[in-house]
Amino acid sequence: MNIWGAIAGGFVGTLVLTTALSAAGELGLTRMDLPFLLGTMVSSDRSRAKALGYAMHFVVGQLFALVYFGIFSAIGHSGWWLGAAFGLGHGLFAGTALVNVLLPVMHPRMGTASSAAADRPLLEPPGFMMLNYGRRTPLATIVAHVAYGAIVGGFISLAG
Amino acid sequence: MTSQRSELSGSPSHTHLNDAGHVPLRDYAAIGDGRTVALVARDGSLDWLCLPNLDSPSAFGSILDPEKGGSFSLCPEVPFTATRRYLLDTNVLETTFETEQGAARVTDAMLLPGSGLAPDRELARRVEGLSGRVPMRWRVEPRFGYGSGRVTIARHGRTPVATAGADALAVSAWGAGDPVLDEVSISAGFTASPGDVGLVVVGSAHQEPLVFPSRGEVESRLAETINFWRQWVAGRTYDGPWREAVIRSALALKLLIHSPSGAIAAAATASLPEQIGGERNWDYRFCWVRDSAFTLHALMQLGCPHESESFFWWLLHASQLTHPLLRVLYRLDGGERAPESTLPLAGYRGSRPVRIGNAAAGQEQLDIYGDLMQTAWFYSVAGGRLDSDTGRRLAQIADLVSEIWHRPDCGIWEVRSEPLHFTHSKIMCWVALDRALRLAEHGQIPGAHAANWRTQAEAIRAYIDERCWSEQLGCYVRSPDSRELDASLLLGALMDYPARRDPRMTATIAAIRRELGRGPLLDRYSGDDGLAGGEGAFLCCSFWLVDALARAGRIDDATELMDQLVGVANDVGLYAEEVDQDTGEFLGNMPQGLVHLALINAAISVGKGRPA
Repeated sequence: MNIWGAIAGGFVGTLVLTTALSAAGELGLTRMDLPFLLGTMVSSDRSRAKALGYAMHFVVGQLFALVYFGIFSAIGHSGWWLGAAFGLGHGLFAGTALVNVLLPVMHPRMGTASSAAADRPLLEPPGFMMLNYGRRTPLATIVAHVAYGAIVGGFISLAG
Repeated sequence: MTSQRSELSGSPSHTHLNDAGHVPLRDYAAIGDGRTVALVARDGSLDWLCLPNLDSPSAFGSILDPEKGGSFSLCPEVPFTATRRYLLDTNVLETTFETEQGAARVTDAMLLPGSGLAPDRELARRVEGLSGRVPMRWRVEPRFGYGSGRVTIARHGRTPVATAGADALAVSAWGAGDPVLDEVSISAGFTASPGDVGLVVVGSAHQEPLVFPSRGEVESRLAETINFWRQWVAGRTYDGPWREAVIRSALALKLLIHSPSGAIAAAATASLPEQIGGERNWDYRFCWVRDSAFTLHALMQLGCPHESESFFWWLLHASQLTHPLLRVLYRLDGGERAPESTLPLAGYRGSRPVRIGNAAAGQEQLDIYGDLMQTAWFYSVAGGRLDSDTGRRLAQIADLVSEIWHRPDCGIWEVRSEPLHFTHSKIMCWVALDRALRLAEHGQIPGAHAANWRTQAEAIRAYIDERCWSEQLGCYVRSPDSRELDASLLLGALMDYPARRDPRMTATIAAIRRELGRGPLLDRYSGDDGLAGGEGAFLCCSFWLVDALARAGRIDDATELMDQLVGVANDVGLYAEEVDQDTGEFLGNMPQGLVHLALINAAISVGKGRPA
């Protein structure tokens, strides 16, 4: 188990996660767009926000991979299946506390359940498990995060 | 859910025929943002809007099916008359409703994105009370996917939202009542009094979260949108006759330009019928190579260098996919596939089938090679430089025309009967080779095969003169040895075939006017086209006649006809593809780019022909 496996796994895992969610959008399963959500934290320009959002998402993907690495190191185990289980928890966390509690605090343009049309444009609040972005969003989110976790866990164990 | 369209509307100048939820096509005005176009009826109902792009499935499509299509109505709750206009030099529509209780004015616009975060597409409807107290009601009833999407209506936060799969729209209202949600719609009522300003905004999203705009930003974007259109018009250089109609046509064309690519859609709609109750219902939300030469000529003459440059290079890039063959039409994103299918919709006034996609994409039409080469020639004459790869490709296309000009084809009118040797197609093959020779002489394309092009051009001309000329009728005919006439032969005069003011072409112009004309209107052709039923008069043909008369030096005739045709437009200056010869009703898709292009080019020709 070494940190290079986490970095490589974080990169590949984020690539797969982003691609899977983008494909889910193309298939009409969800309107969730993580780069757009993240990028609009720092820019109100739609195109710039999406580009920045992609970069931010890769940074966040690396940070989560390092968190995975820390936990794997602490418990002395890693692997594809354990990573997938972490991904499941990660997906549930992202769909609940992360986007509904933490993101509105950090995101100047994120709406909440109590938002009305205000003086500045707001992004549509995601709702529980981001269901506001489509009924199949939880499924797409969890599948994508499970894939991310499995890849990170697998790369870390392979690099062992 | 039954359409809530008012049964009460009407205007002093026009009785409102509310036929099973449909209004006459003349009643529609178009608004747009360079990505999509909405049709708004005189009674305040928005009955057509595809999202996110012009060629996407409709979110509001009640024009094709009042029950299933979806609409966004906004009008007084009491009997009214309506008058409307575009705000000067804009694509922003203003409708004034007069009632016994007072008057209110509605301003409709598709907003252009400003610098801030805005919805992906944004439609604003602003209501001002002018006098009295007018009870107003609006109702947003979206039906994504041409009415097939299962729509969920709910509040996200406090904002009403309609969703279906990867599509969603949010309805924001200020001073326009408290929205009430039911299973299929979002609606509210309010009273418009002098000094009151209500605002209802529909913002859409595709594959991303919605953006809920603020009122201040919407008002600001509305002002910026009006300003953008006025600045765009101020940048146009046209100063010839019928300026108002020409500028309105330019604005209509600008609505049809797909801003990401520069492609121009033939029209904003699909399956509006060429005959009420008939089967001639086609999807025109594609870019036809056939229109390219008219498009480039009109854009250049109007002083639209950016649009003409974008369009020309888009056309060359799109056609690269199929080189050296050309497809009849391409999607607005440059793709070549446009599979035709039918939708389970009732159709405009029962006109079925309702088609999307267009099977003409797979037809062989020889005339388009002439259109492409003429387009390249216009580009060259205007000072454009063709790079060596493009020049080589155009030369290869000329080589191809040399080989295939003798084949039968489906012709400019895309007949679905057996292919024929259409005279117009042969003329355009001649044009292709003639323009290739000119381009080679100017060093724009390699001329190694010029001798063969010249030989083949002469062979085409001999074929046309021997086989397509009728001594009996004294004119060119639709196809060899036929007795049918075809208004597309007017294009021979417009392309200077075989030379300017050729006597045979002059005789053909007269014969077409005599045999196919009814007042200022022309039928497209006589003879079979493989489809049941008839159709209205094809408006672009009438403008081609004006153009041909002007080029033949008959300026007074051209002017008189043009005056009549300008009067055929609807109250806001738009044209559909056809008009019913008896009732004057619009038929076919609208606003129709080719008609507006033909109007512009005809006005330019008459202007050039007038003494200085």
